[in-house]
Amino acid sequence: MARYLIRRLNLFLATSLVLFLVMFIATGKFPVEHTFALTGLQSPTSQELAQIEQDYQLDSSQAHQFFAYLQQRLSGNLGISATSQNPVIDELTAVLPASFELGIVAGLIALVLGLPLGVLASLSKHKITQHTIMAITLTGYSIPVFWLGLSLSLWFGVQLGWLPISGQINLLYDIRPVTGFLLIDTLLSDSQYATSAFIDALLHIILPAVTLAVLPFTVVVRITRAAMISIMEQTYIKAAEARGLHTSVIVLRHALPNAFIPVLKNLGLMLGAFASYAMVVEVIFSWPGVGAWLVSGIYQRDYTVIQGGILAVALIIIFLSILIEVIHTAMNPLSRKELYAAN
Amino acid sequence: MPQIKIYQEDHIPSPMSRIWSAFTDNPFAFAGLWAVCCLLLLALFGPLIAPYSAEHQDPLALLLAPSWEPTGTVEHFLGTDDLGRDIFSRLLHGAHLTFGMALAIVITALLLGFIIGSISGMMKGLKSSILSHLLDALLSIPSLLMAILVVAVTGPGLGNVFWAVGIALTPQFVRAIHQAVHEELQKEYVTAAKLDGANSLQIFWYVILPNIMDTMIIQTTLGISAAILDIAALGFLNLGAQAPSPEWGAMVSQGLDNLLTAPWTVTIPGVAILCSVLAINLVGDGLRSALSPIRS
Repeated sequence: MARYLIRRLNLFLATSLVLFLVMFIATGKFPVEHTFALTGLQSPTSQELAQIEQDYQLDSSQAHQFFAYLQQRLSGNLGISATSQNPVIDELTAVLPASFELGIVAGLIALVLGLPLGVLASLSKHKITQHTIMAITLTGYSIPVFWLGLSLSLWFGVQLGWLPISGQINLLYDIRPVTGFLLIDTLLSDSQYATSAFIDALLHIILPAVTLAVLPFTVVVRITRAAMISIMEQTYIKAAEARGLHTSVIVLRHALPNAFIPVLKNLGLMLGAFASYAMVVEVIFSWPGVGAWLVSGIYQRDYTVIQGGILAVALIIIFLSILIEVIHTAMNPLSRKELYAAN
Repeated sequence: MPQIKIYQEDHIPSPMSRIWSAFTDNPFAFAGLWAVCCLLLLALFGPLIAPYSAEHQDPLALLLAPSWEPTGTVEHFLGTDDLGRDIFSRLLHGAHLTFGMALAIVITALLLGFIIGSISGMMKGLKSSILSHLLDALLSIPSLLMAILVVAVTGPGLGNVFWAVGIALTPQFVRAIHQAVHEELQKEYVTAAKLDGANSLQIFWYVILPNIMDTMIIQTTLGISAAILDIAALGFLNLGAQAPSPEWGAMVSQGLDNLLTAPWTVTIPGVAILCSVLAINLVGDGLRSALSPIRS
């Protein structure tokens, strides 16, 4: 296992290096002054210019420049935003928690609703139930997320007036950021309006989270169903049935843990698409997360924000997908066997 | 009249005809295939049958409701937008932008992925690992981020969408084909062919290629639906097709200003995207289940 972990760590480092290389090449190709693309300083003084040249080694070879670039970025120097003049790293840490909050809530909704529905779809013998569930999931899989978000906000937000459709919380509430996760911060806050602020934050997250949850939900239902159907045919399920166990015990104890393994694997594969969808959802619902920040960065041609955002999001995705792969291997004895056989 | 059997032998269907009959047994998949064929025809001949040009503005018919509404007229079948442009004609003109562009991207990505994936799949050890993992870094950049990067370098426009979505899709093809080739290489019939003295080119072309076809077909249908959704999302964010263009995602974003007074300017292009992606996914699903008895 240690050897496997080292190999995965190796993969993480190598992939991140390639990512930095791609970003380094792209930075050189931005249609602005190279120093501006690197630091975000619109018109640096001669002193700053000398500092930039020294920091990024602009007068040495490309390889030296790349390592200087790597050093600067890894030490947290992402430059300053050209529009707000704040350091990019500060802005990034301010917007990341909101995105994580949205992603976690959406993922939870997808898993909590998707797993039982997938199991139900696999157990039901009715053609109509099966076809309905498959039709719903296929539609959910094909729906363009921006259109779904607009339709939901038009219907539930404007026509019925049930749910707020923009932002993270009503601006009247003054919540001190502790963890950055607004749902937790409102609970931690000691103001007398903490409960109503929490409810308000909860109402704000419903529409974006549901919109974002549609894609992972459909994938979870389909994979769970397919895995359950093949598992329920296995001999150990027949043995459990022969022992007289109740169906619910068989499903929960014997089948579901095994059905969860392919679901986990597909969650890892879906991360990229999920991140793309999350960015669109953030733009539609003006959710103050990293996606909306990046898209406004591209509208204003704020090159340091673009670089910092892409680096952060891509690194997080690389890390999470490798983490999911490791968990998948740890949970799945079969793939561990393959692993030892390969070595 | 029942057919008279003269010969004792049963007719043994070829693998292709077995896949075809398994595919046509599923009515939804078959309906999807018809829809995809219609889409293809529309992408090719849509501009010819459109009643108006994409930019034709009718100042007497601004924000006209679709024809089934009491206020709508049949001249503008799906209504008009805020500049009096006929939505039906714009959809037809946009079909080859959204659907045709998606096809072009997927074909390019498939070719590139096929070449890189099969070379890296046939090789062993470090070289293979470097080639396949090199693109894994690109795989981890979501398509939208890749598009933002491309737009940052070259500026927005429909041509850049081609590169953005193409760069994001190619690694998926490389990975899928690499894995398929790698898996087939471990199997015994490949060893048998090797013992017969086939060189690696022969093994790849005659032994492995027919067996990875199904993976490639499935990956292609997945790729087309993902490409359509990406192109539309980029158009919606104004990073892809620009304002007067009748690309379907851009049409949604142009209708956004009138969302409350004229919801059909947003709904109808959205339904068009949904239907085309749904049709492709139906075909992909049908193909997957038709191919699965052979795969397992």
